[in-house]
Amino acid sequence: MGVVRYEGLPFVARFRWNTGKIMEKFYEKFAEKQIIAARCENCGYTVVPPRMICPKCSSKMDEKNLVNMDGRGVVLSHTVVRKKLDGKGNFIDLNKPEIVAAIKLKGADSQIFVRLGEVEAEELKPGMEVVPVWAEKPEGKPSDLLYFKPG
Amino acid sequence: MKVAIIGYAISNLGWDVEKTREEHVFEVAKSAIEDAGIDRKDVCTVVSASTDFLDGRTISNCMLIGATGAYLKDESKAEEDGMYAALYAAQRIMAGVHEIALAVSHTHSWIFNPHQISHYMLEPWFDRQNDLLNEITLGALQARIYMNNYGADELDLAEISVKNLRNAANVPYAFRKLHDVTAEEVLEAEMYSDPLTELMISPPCDGAAAVVLASEEVAKEICPNPVWIKGIGNACDNYLRDRDLTRLNSLEIAARRAYRMAGIEEPFREVDVAEISERFAHQELMAYEALGFCREGKGRVLIEEGMTEVYGDIPVNPSGGALAGDPICATGMIRLIEAAKQIRGEAENQVEDCRTALAHAQWGLLAQKNLVFILGDEP
Repeated sequence: MGVVRYEGLPFVARFRWNTGKIMEKFYEKFAEKQIIAARCENCGYTVVPPRMICPKCSSKMDEKNLVNMDGRGVVLSHTVVRKKLDGKGNFIDLNKPEIVAAIKLKGADSQIFVRLGEVEAEELKPGMEVVPVWAEKPEGKPSDLLYFKPG
Repeated sequence: MKVAIIGYAISNLGWDVEKTREEHVFEVAKSAIEDAGIDRKDVCTVVSASTDFLDGRTISNCMLIGATGAYLKDESKAEEDGMYAALYAAQRIMAGVHEIALAVSHTHSWIFNPHQISHYMLEPWFDRQNDLLNEITLGALQARIYMNNYGADELDLAEISVKNLRNAANVPYAFRKLHDVTAEEVLEAEMYSDPLTELMISPPCDGAAAVVLASEEVAKEICPNPVWIKGIGNACDNYLRDRDLTRLNSLEIAARRAYRMAGIEEPFREVDVAEISERFAHQELMAYEALGFCREGKGRVLIEEGMTEVYGDIPVNPSGGALAGDPICATGMIRLIEAAKQIRGEAENQVEDCRTALAHAQWGLLAQKNLVFILGDEP
C-alpha cells in the first residue's frame, strides 16, 4: 500500500525480577507439594501467593507470617478458553479448549487463577472442591503445579 | 475553584488509520484548541495520556511535544486513561496555578495487540506463568462470577452489546457500528472465552482525543457554552487476586465521592445520561449497580426493561461506549467528551433536557481503578 513500516522491537529484553524472600519460599515449598500463604498478624487477611505487604492493611509481613495451606480449594468461577494468545499478539484457536478457573484455597482470603484438568466444563459449578495436581518430581519451581482437579 | 470544559475533539476511530501518532495527536489537539476558540499560546499546561507498552516505546510523549503544543510549557504524561489526564489538568487549574489546560490521549492498537499486552499487566512470578491468563480470560471469569452471583445470563450481556452497537450506528467516528445487530448474532459471534463472544469484548482500535479546560473566570469570559465539572471521584482497588470480582467496589466509591461533590443524592433521578467505559458487556451491568442506578445485583433489570436506552429513564452509552471502539487510553476521555456533548445538546443520540451527565473511565485489569466526572450546564 505504499506505506513504509518499521517492524519489531530494537532489542529483546529478558527482564529479571527479585521475587523477594517470601515468594522464594513459596516456590521452594512446591518441591514438597505444598502451597503456603501469608497471614497478616494485624488484620488476619490471608493472601496466596504470599505477599510482603498486606494488601488490606499495609502491614509488613515476613517469613514468620507464612502458613501452610492444605491445597484444597473451591471453584468461584470458570471459563472455557477457545482462543489463546501466542505471546506475539496472535490469537490461536485451541482445538482442545482449556479451562481456567478462579479458585479460593481453604484458609485463604484471596483468590488465584489456575488451569483445571481431568474435568469437563459441563460438570463444573461454583463451590466445587478442587485439589492440586503436581509434577511427578517437583523441583521447587512454577511448573511443578500442573493444574487443579476435582477432589 | 471551578473548572469548565471549553473545547474538545475526537478523531475517527479505526484499525490501522495509516497516520503517525504525531499526526493523530496534532489533529485532535489543534481541533480542540480551535473548538475552544483560543490560540495555542493561551494553553498554559499540557497533560497527555498514553502507555509505553502499548506504544512500543518508552517515554512515549517525548516526540509529541510539537504535536501537543507543549514546547517549553508545563507538561506531564499520565500512563493511564485520558480522563485521568483531564483530572490532573483540572487539578492544576483548581490549584490556581494555571488558567487554561489541554489534556490529550491516544492509543494506536494496530501497533501491537493490546490483549497480548494485558498479559504483561499480570504479577510476573505466579500469574504470568500461566499463558492462558489475559484480560479476556480474566474478564470471562469476572463475567461468570457476576452472573452466578446475581442470576444474570448470556442474553443480558448480549442485550448490552445490542444497545451499544446500535447506538454507535449514528456516531460518525465510531469503529464498530452494527445498526441491525440482534442478541442472537451477539451470542453466535466467535467465542473467545465463554461466556464472552467477540461482540461482548471491546474492540481495540486506533484513536485520539483532546479536551481544553479553563478556570471559571476564563471560561465565562471566552466560552459561550462551557460545560462545568461539578463532581470528581477517583478510587483504586487492589490487584485482582485480592478483589471481590462480583462487584466494582472502587467504582462505587468513586461515584459516591463524585455525587457528594456535585450534591447528587439520588443518581437514578438526578443523572440525565451516563457515558461509561465498559471493556466487556458484563462490566456495564456491574457499573449500573456501582453507580447507584439500581440495587446490587439488579443491573440486568435496567437492560431488560430498556431503561438505559437513549429514550430510557437513565440512558447509558448513547455513543456506543467502549464496545463500539476502544482506543485504550482515549476511551475514557471520549466518554468525557460525549458527556460534554450531551450537556451542550450536540450528541448524535441526544438525550432530551440533559443537564447533568456522568462520565466514567477505568484503568488496570478488570477495572482496578475507576474515575467518575459529573458534568453540568451551570457552574
